[in-house]
Amino acid sequence: MGKSVFLRRTGLIVTLLVCVALLVKVPALPPYYVRVADSILIYIILAVGLNIVVGYAGLLDLGFIAFYAVGAYTYAFLASGQFDIHLPFLIILLIGAGTGALAGILLGFPVLKLRGDYLAIVTLSFGEIIRILINNADDLTNGPQGIAALDRARIFGLPLISPTNFYFLLLILTIVVCGAVYFMERSILGKAWRALREDQDATRGLGINTTGLKLAAFAISAAIGGATGVIFSAFQRFVSPESFTFQESLLVVLIIIIGGVGNIVGIAAGAILLIILPEVLHFAAQYRLLIYGLVLVVVIVLRPNGLIPPAFNLGHVIRKIQALWLSPSNT
Amino acid sequence: MALTLEHVSKRFGSLVAIKDLSLTFERGAIYSIIGPNGAGKSTVVNMVAGSYTVTSGVIRLDAHVVSSLAKHQIARLGISRTYQNLRLFDGMSVLENLEVCFFTDSLPGLFRRGGHRMTKVERLKRCHACLHDFNLADVAENLAGDLPYGRQKVLELARAFVTDAPVVLLDEPAAGLNHTETKEMARRIASLKRSDRAIILVEHDMDLVMSISDRVDVLNHGELLYSGSPDAVRRNEKVQEAYLGTAAELDIVRKLTEGRRTSGGIRAHAGVVRH
Repeated sequence: MGKSVFLRRTGLIVTLLVCVALLVKVPALPPYYVRVADSILIYIILAVGLNIVVGYAGLLDLGFIAFYAVGAYTYAFLASGQFDIHLPFLIILLIGAGTGALAGILLGFPVLKLRGDYLAIVTLSFGEIIRILINNADDLTNGPQGIAALDRARIFGLPLISPTNFYFLLLILTIVVCGAVYFMERSILGKAWRALREDQDATRGLGINTTGLKLAAFAISAAIGGATGVIFSAFQRFVSPESFTFQESLLVVLIIIIGGVGNIVGIAAGAILLIILPEVLHFAAQYRLLIYGLVLVVVIVLRPNGLIPPAFNLGHVIRKIQALWLSPSNT
Repeated sequence: MALTLEHVSKRFGSLVAIKDLSLTFERGAIYSIIGPNGAGKSTVVNMVAGSYTVTSGVIRLDAHVVSSLAKHQIARLGISRTYQNLRLFDGMSVLENLEVCFFTDSLPGLFRRGGHRMTKVERLKRCHACLHDFNLADVAENLAGDLPYGRQKVLELARAFVTDAPVVLLDEPAAGLNHTETKEMARRIASLKRSDRAIILVEHDMDLVMSISDRVDVLNHGELLYSGSPDAVRRNEKVQEAYLGTAAELDIVRKLTEGRRTSGGIRAHAGVVRH
């Protein structure tokens, strides 16, 4: 008995160490792979953010990329020659989360009464409106040409230059966001969101202001989208409207559905699959999208609840580790 | 200190569901609203709880005008309810179904008007005590949707009582329960009677209504037909007519059932007209 606990504990430590080592060793790979890893992390953060609205509160939002765009342009406006404003990166990161949240509330108010298909259509339009607005507001955004030569981001004087720098920044943000969202999921707020998803009327009947509850979901999720946009913009040092098409919104929703709705572990798996797949399929040239689509269909057919089963969520993983850690080791 | 309906009317288009209804529900008693199908019983519950707005008239809880508030504000004032069809959160655990009732109390001061912030420990303590009172402690971690129907009914009852609301509306608590479960439900509701709480029941099961109510209000075609003690209601001719037809028709029913009756009055007939 004691021996098996010892073995399992050792196994756990080895697994964790391997995971950490793999994550830390990613930058040792050629820059191309690091860029793909950056991309995966960005989409994990976006999907975990959107999951608050889609997975927890049960509101299908098809225009999520608009908040990412708002964050990206916040950095472009506040750290470039466009208006000759050059604020520090970390300050803009906070402002970006704020402008994202504000945009989320602005979208939230008019759509609060809508549900299901109607909500999906209106949010889709909102995403397109933001993109078209950016595309046409030449004086502010340079329209389709975008804003180039954005400031190099610095954190406490250290410049962020290489994909590796951004990899670590994104890794930290991913851990922070996943931790915060997981905490929310477990809190009374997360429970109220689930109640809202199951039965809005009954939730109101318990004295819960469902309007405020939905706005909170929209605002928090949009803040995460905005902050991610700031990092994206600082990484590319260039923004243009074509990064924020409907396809991007769809990709984030797909990651959630393929990975497992409401499941942070699933979302990470979904992001890895959906970002790596097109890269792996480069050899297939013009058949790439065909194969991509087929893989998605196969996943949905075989695993309708997502790649990762709902029972295998972050809470499950943490409980497993805790149980193993606290179990008596009477060797 | 009471829940009062003052000249309340409700129309759905050209249909008048409730006509100039005035009622007072004091704390410390159990009230039943009965009447034939379509009499407007559920409409009354839905208006008090804020699911429907009143067409005219005023509903008050003590000094507060309830009929102008949003549904969640009414619930915050202390009017809780159960539903004719179960409205539990099936995908959440039994414990979580109760926990969400304290969502607003658990928020930081900025989002909550008045009162102190409820801690997680306090919240869990209240919920576990409630689960214990309603014999649900053994299934606290089970999904609400996995419980047998009878226990789901009890959970919905628990959810209406966990916040100590001064007014509790029970919309057909015995619907779908078997004889034994109904008796158990009646015993349970009777035991929940408290001096600081009014329990208002809408129910078709006459045994249940007559055994636990302090006052029975009979509605017919949206109007108050009669209001009185269970015994008085049982003896009232207008009530018998509304349930069983005119006196002449009633006479026929009497003759047909003569000799087979064991427990006099409307109680025996209730079985015939139960909907």
